Amino acid sequence: MTAQAPRRRGPRPTNVRLRRLLVMLPWLMERGEVPLAEMAQRFRLSESELVAELELASMCGLPPFVDELIDVFVDEGTVYAGVPRVFTKPMRLTAPEAFALVAAGRAALQLPGADPDGPLSRALAKLDAALGEADLAVEMAAPPESDVLVAAATSGEVVEIRYWSAARETSTDRRVAPRAVFADRGNWYLLADDLDLLAAGADAQRTFRLDRIERLVPTGAHVDVREVERPEEWFADDSVATAVLRLAPPAMWAVERYPVRSIEPIAGGGAEVELAVASERWLSRLLVRLGPHVEVVEPAAWRSLAADTARSVLARYGE
Amino acid sequence: MATDSLERVTNLLALLLESRAPLTLDQIAAQLTDQYPAAEQARRAAFERDKALLRGEGVPIETEVLGGDRAGQTAYRIDRARYELDLRLDDDERRALQVALAAVRFAGDAGGLGSGDGVWTESALWKVGADDAGGAVAGVEASLPAVAGLATLHHAVASRSTVTFGYRGKVRTLDPWGLLGREGFWYVVGHDHDAGEQRTYRVDRIDGSVAVGDAAVHPRPEGFDVRHAFPADAKQIGGGGATAQVAIDLERAGAAVRELGPDAVRERRADGSVVVEVPCANPLAFRSWVLGFLEHAEVLGPAEQREAIVTWLRDLAGPR
Repeated sequence: MTAQAPRRRGPRPTNVRLRRLLVMLPWLMERGEVPLAEMAQRFRLSESELVAELELASMCGLPPFVDELIDVFVDEGTVYAGVPRVFTKPMRLTAPEAFALVAAGRAALQLPGADPDGPLSRALAKLDAALGEADLAVEMAAPPESDVLVAAATSGEVVEIRYWSAARETSTDRRVAPRAVFADRGNWYLLADDLDLLAAGADAQRTFRLDRIERLVPTGAHVDVREVERPEEWFADDSVATAVLRLAPPAMWAVERYPVRSIEPIAGGGAEVELAVASERWLSRLLVRLGPHVEVVEPAAWRSLAADTARSVLARYGE
Repeated sequence: MATDSLERVTNLLALLLESRAPLTLDQIAAQLTDQYPAAEQARRAAFERDKALLRGEGVPIETEVLGGDRAGQTAYRIDRARYELDLRLDDDERRALQVALAAVRFAGDAGGLGSGDGVWTESALWKVGADDAGGAVAGVEASLPAVAGLATLHHAVASRSTVTFGYRGKVRTLDPWGLLGREGFWYVVGHDHDAGEQRTYRVDRIDGSVAVGDAAVHPRPEGFDVRHAFPADAKQIGGGGATAQVAIDLERAGAAVRELGPDAVRERRADGSVVVEVPCANPLAFRSWVLGFLEHAEVLGPAEQREAIVTWLRDLAGPR
């Protein structure tokens, strides 16, 4: 994510500024005084932007305008607030804010290491009480190995895994340094450095699907802990090639399941998509499942892949 | 002097919050001296823009039509008790929510839930988050798909409101009972008025926006649990409990047994392959699952399931 640096074009819209102001004022009044830098960082403004917003707030007020909303001034890098006036509490949660908190909270309760009776559960109960109880469930139960892997990522412990590669259809033993465990699109993944690749001087960061780890053994050896940013686009197993597929509407689920590089809608509800292909075997599986609802456009070498695969599977049925 | 549009809208909000009686537009304009245009039409248009902006930000502006000597005029007010956030979170609860929002991210930016400037996830943290939390949890995170309409549906579930939305070219009217995030998708489950029975819809397939009706109009059935509203295993959807027997080669036997559980194993053969019993009530999901093994799996029975796979493959293989 690129959340740190505020990259914007043009002035912020009034509604976004109002939203921020309505939480900044009660926050500031509760504290009385706060370092300008700290407040600017919390509300993701530059110091000069924050000073400008506070100056504006100090000009707002109720008739006859001697009674300003907030008695605020900035001096020597500190913001001072006077007696609380109108905006003493933040506004209630909006629907998207409430949803974000409840959904993230319910999901986080299922992450490895979560405490089901801890403060998060209490916070969610208070949200339910305020918003009305809603049956909102998020399923992301982590497989049992995840606890070990999260602990290894935190401590830098090296683990040995036997991993089944869907691209190569073989299992291999690897020594890896777990860096992060994450859930995405219904599956759990391990982001790790493959230490043998690292020793060979190669790009060593790999993503493994947890349900394809056939064996997991902590080694007791440790390497330095490294914080990693999850890549925006990634593949369990290494992806190299891409293919352009023409999908009919019944095949569109593939777009929802796999990362596509581009998508071009076509008449009738389908689309032409370019997607990363982990291996020919991987593509074979996809094509034979999509059946008549998909057509390979590029590369030409794969145009007969579906028929060839169907024949080899039919052989299994004695045909 | 051109005033900053934020100034007028802030003043309007403050005025409505502080006023004990509902105020008409004339009264508002008189109080906020020189801030609204003098010409009636322009004044009304400017006020409507401000009101829409405040409501868009979630400010509960109420209207009432006056009687007496000002009969027919509309007056506006904000109930402070409805406006203010009152969660009474303890510090450890604030930190827990902050950590949860750092660990569980929303993928995509639909509905203003993703990353970037002015997203709701950020303002939610400003309202409830702790001051001192570093935020990130080491080592683990998850992402949930951000889909437009989720927040509205969540609100409707919580307030027992009926919703209407377009789905596959038809307008559906639903009493939503629950929302479920499963396998990377969001589902809304409830009572469909036209179908007269329980229905499940994928939220990302809803066309356009979700309209919410009056609150507190529908009850939720006793004991309803959205996690059990439809089978987690797509191969079981359709019900009836039908199963098929599938032979899986040594290479994939371990993975198949891990996925299905040891109870699904009917036979372990000397060559290391297994025969497993697999739900097949949903023929599409069953076919997709079997073909994922390519030549390492074979449907043994029932005969019609085996035949369906063979026919699918023959059509795909084309003439020899």
